[in-house]
Amino acid sequence: MIEVTNVWKRFAAPVLRDVTLRVPGGCLYGLIGPGAAGKSVLLKCLAGLLRPERGTVQIFGETIGALDEVALQAVRNRIGMLFQNNALFDHLTVAENIAFPLRRRGLTDEAEIAARVADRLRAVSLPGFEERLPGGLSGGQKKRVGVARATVTRADVVLYDEPAAGLDPVTSQKIFDLLRREQQEAGATVVMVSSDIDRLLTVTDRVGMMLDGALIFEGTTAEAQGSLHPVVKQFVHGEVDGPL
Amino acid sequence: MSADADSMDRPRGPIEVAARQVLADAKDLQGVLMRTAYWTANGRREPGEVMRQCFEVGYRSAFFLSVTMGFIGMILVFQSGLQLLRVVPDLTLLGATFLELLVRDLGPTIAAMMLATRVGAGIAAEIGSMVVTEQVDALRMCGVDPVDHLVVPRFIASMIMTVVLVVVSGLVSFAAGGATAWFVFDVQPLTYINFSLLDRGDLITGLLKCLAYGAAIPVVSGWCGLTTRGGSEGVGSATTSAVVNSSLAVIMLDLLISGVGFVVFV
Repeated sequence: MIEVTNVWKRFAAPVLRDVTLRVPGGCLYGLIGPGAAGKSVLLKCLAGLLRPERGTVQIFGETIGALDEVALQAVRNRIGMLFQNNALFDHLTVAENIAFPLRRRGLTDEAEIAARVADRLRAVSLPGFEERLPGGLSGGQKKRVGVARATVTRADVVLYDEPAAGLDPVTSQKIFDLLRREQQEAGATVVMVSSDIDRLLTVTDRVGMMLDGALIFEGTTAEAQGSLHPVVKQFVHGEVDGPL
Repeated sequence: MSADADSMDRPRGPIEVAARQVLADAKDLQGVLMRTAYWTANGRREPGEVMRQCFEVGYRSAFFLSVTMGFIGMILVFQSGLQLLRVVPDLTLLGATFLELLVRDLGPTIAAMMLATRVGAGIAAEIGSMVVTEQVDALRMCGVDPVDHLVVPRFIASMIMTVVLVVVSGLVSFAAGGATAWFVFDVQPLTYINFSLLDRGDLITGLLKCLAYGAAIPVVSGWCGLTTRGGSEGVGSATTSAVVNSSLAVIMLDLLISGVGFVVFV
């Protein structure tokens, strides 16, 4: 479903170095690593928001780097994304934010749009929040609205960038459980970046670990938890002593 | 390590970094320009969005521009009158000369420079803050080209309202100049209001400048906003760049259109 092959990306300095990974269809894939490891950049490369300088990113059999902006839009229509700081549109209400991707994809039946918005708000436990503006929501509520918007189009691939950043432990676990439930119900392929390792590993099927722009580990969640690689071991178990 | 890895890891010198940046900027600006043209012809507009932008660009700038152009009219007529009196003691063509200059060059260009500071800065700040909060990326993920959604309504509004604003503020400037001519040099209004030097070439050149400036300001400012990097510091930097680059674009277009106008109409 998602294939990344020898991808390089640099801004002032290289941020992705020769990254190769494969995410099978229907898999919930966790991308872990310390700060500035290149996780969010890789996620944006998967969405076609950034183009790698070398290597290829393939989704649905399409090579992202070879597509122009119009062709890329057709691929993006099959991808949902939750951004690290939610990226809700300030001037739109909660309902308008969730309905936005539906309207822009050409859905004009207002009754159907309203029904799908209500369904998403129920799924994220925010019924009755339709007319609220993002500015009046808490961090956890914004995150849930972001999840509702990312999943409203029933996309084949959903990308989550730090879905639990800045949330308390209980809300974090609820968010992770919600995302797992959503993924299982929709059968979508999910790539999730999170620093909340303990909770992330309760929901993932496979895990990749990045360090300094390179993918240093790739395997099942159980393999990550049992890894003897000193960096992976230290990071996954949150040990203070080690190479990091 | 492979040759690919070597070339990607190699630190870049300041000249290489600057050259790459200039090339990337030129490519980005060209991309924004092409996509603006494409979506203006093919895009779907939200109902009322262009009207809202016309209000933002036009109504909110009208007072500022009229006052500025009024003062400029007074200053120019006063200074021109003083200089003319040194050479020939005849001010009968003062109004006609000023009107030709106003229509052909000063009206559109000075008004556009003022618009670049007010409208250009606003466009860059609004789009730039959407970039740093990832709202522009979210637009792209929702199936929207940010140029279509954010730049094109401002582009259409700016093209329309620049013409309107130049006409209105030009009239204010001419009237203020007339009052100065009357009170300072005793040039009667009927002598001052003289269209004899104004020809078709002046009108076409002036109109072309209005349209070109009206197009350039939102495109250049939108490009500055869309290429914002970093946080609030980046938004500040993008806003400054929008004013500088829009003003530069106005001056360059002024030279270009004046040159072409001179060749075609003289």
